[in-house]
Amino acid sequence: MDIDIQNVTRTFRGGVTALDDLTLHIPTGMFGLLGNNGAGKTTLMRILAGLLRPTAGRVVVGGHELATKAGQQAVKAELGYLPQDLGLYPDLTARQFLDYVALLKGLDRTADRRRRVGEMLELVALTDVADRRLKGFSGGMRRRIGIAQALLNDPRLLIVDEPTAGLDPEERIRFRTLLSQLPGSRTVLLSTHIVEDVAQTCRQVAILGRGQVRFRGTVDEVVAHAGGRVWSVTTRQDGPPAGVVVSALAHEDGTRYRVVSDIRPSEDAVALEPTLEDGYLALTGAITVAG
Amino acid sequence: MKSFVATARYEFTMQWRKRSVWIVTGVLALLLVAIGAGQLTYVFDASDTKTAMARAALLLQLLLPVGYGSLLADRLVRDRQIRIAEVLDATPADATARLAGKYAGSCAATAVPILVLYLVVGVAYGIAEGDWAAAGWVFAIFVVITLPGLAFVGAAALAFPLVMPTPLFRVLFVGYWFWGNAVTPAAMPTTAQTLLAPEGAYGLRQFFGYDEEIMRPRGDLFNVLRPEVSATTAVLSIALLAVLSVLLLAGANAVQSRSTR
Repeated sequence: MDIDIQNVTRTFRGGVTALDDLTLHIPTGMFGLLGNNGAGKTTLMRILAGLLRPTAGRVVVGGHELATKAGQQAVKAELGYLPQDLGLYPDLTARQFLDYVALLKGLDRTADRRRRVGEMLELVALTDVADRRLKGFSGGMRRRIGIAQALLNDPRLLIVDEPTAGLDPEERIRFRTLLSQLPGSRTVLLSTHIVEDVAQTCRQVAILGRGQVRFRGTVDEVVAHAGGRVWSVTTRQDGPPAGVVVSALAHEDGTRYRVVSDIRPSEDAVALEPTLEDGYLALTGAITVAG
Repeated sequence: MKSFVATARYEFTMQWRKRSVWIVTGVLALLLVAIGAGQLTYVFDASDTKTAMARAALLLQLLLPVGYGSLLADRLVRDRQIRIAEVLDATPADATARLAGKYAGSCAATAVPILVLYLVVGVAYGIAEGDWAAAGWVFAIFVVITLPGLAFVGAAALAFPLVMPTPLFRVLFVGYWFWGNAVTPAAMPTTAQTLLAPEGAYGLRQFFGYDEEIMRPRGDLFNVLRPEVSATTAVLSIALLAVLSVLLLAGANAVQSRSTR
């Protein structure tokens, strides 16, 4: 299910422009959407989910015009959506909540619905607590319920917005593995500011900044963007002599910084293999050259 | 239709499980017993069982709808508050059907404890007077008179918190209820004992033998809403409450759809 976004602008009351003449093609498969907080990712996700209308521009999802009611209905029938801030009804059990969402998604036949709910609970490893009320669920369990509800209708388009925010490392890995196993003929749109999530799950990626597409390509191309610009610098000073700090590690000789810099930050700087995070920092233009 | 049924079913389940629905109604019932004990002779002195149950229903309606409206006030706005609205809005289910289902399910569940109290009163009267028709009459009053009133209160409780904070609605609603239903027209201009009063002044008098005259103080501007009691005006009163309920829900639907755009 391809997505075509053409010259989309979304301006909110008060004049805040979240998306600014954004054009992007998203093909079938896993697709990562990276960007800082406030880059416009959530606004774009909400537009694609039919929850928000663009102020200007055109969105076509799987051949359906999102500007029309019929188009929106057609997309929603094939959509799985996990929003950034997912709430659940505390008074329902996990099974009841999924049954409710399944009914709203049009799974009308009782036997099929029960089977599908059971499968989803199994998929997210929550069968044991299926009949417990959701108010007692941890953050990780709630996210898993979130992905289960999104997958109930076997969607051709799955939109997940910041799915691993707030999860512990084990939950995060479990979630990423689950997402990676999904695509097939689906389009899975993963929006996140956590670069590692995209690195582990996506080949295609777009980077958003200030409501516009800053980059569109493969993960390898993002990584390549930082080629020859990633350094390890150890110093006792407050910061590295040049570049943007990717990470810092206390060391017996001082602090060891991993930096992205156009120039070698110091004589003893050691060149490193770039990662997606390095490429992301290089592409978002956050690099400052000092020293 | 399927979205309506699904939403009504699960909204009923959630509201039914809410302890406050039972606690608030129970506390109000105790309060009614405390302040209404002196009114028992008023109920038992009625000329027949039907009138006695009409009098009892009017006493029950003094407080119970206050709890009813307050308990329903968070139902529609909470979907946004607990951040579930987007998941539901992203389904192909029709938003209007979901709103209607939420209204029907949550209102029905909140009305159950009130129905139970009505039946308790009917059965208690039946035991005391040896007339088991009391339970039937009180049930009929609940269906014909109380339900339309609760339907109106429920629609208002779902709609108004979309445009004002829920606590403010609750305060205003309590004020409205006592002003518009409990106060006698002799005391001040009020919508009590008009066609628009959810207490069901016209239906109780026409269909259930409630035997006090409608008050029409000289010069009261609300007298235009106080025609003579007849079958037509009683039905009109019920119909007006139904129309107002639909209008309130339509308004809520419009506000909701605008807020998602």
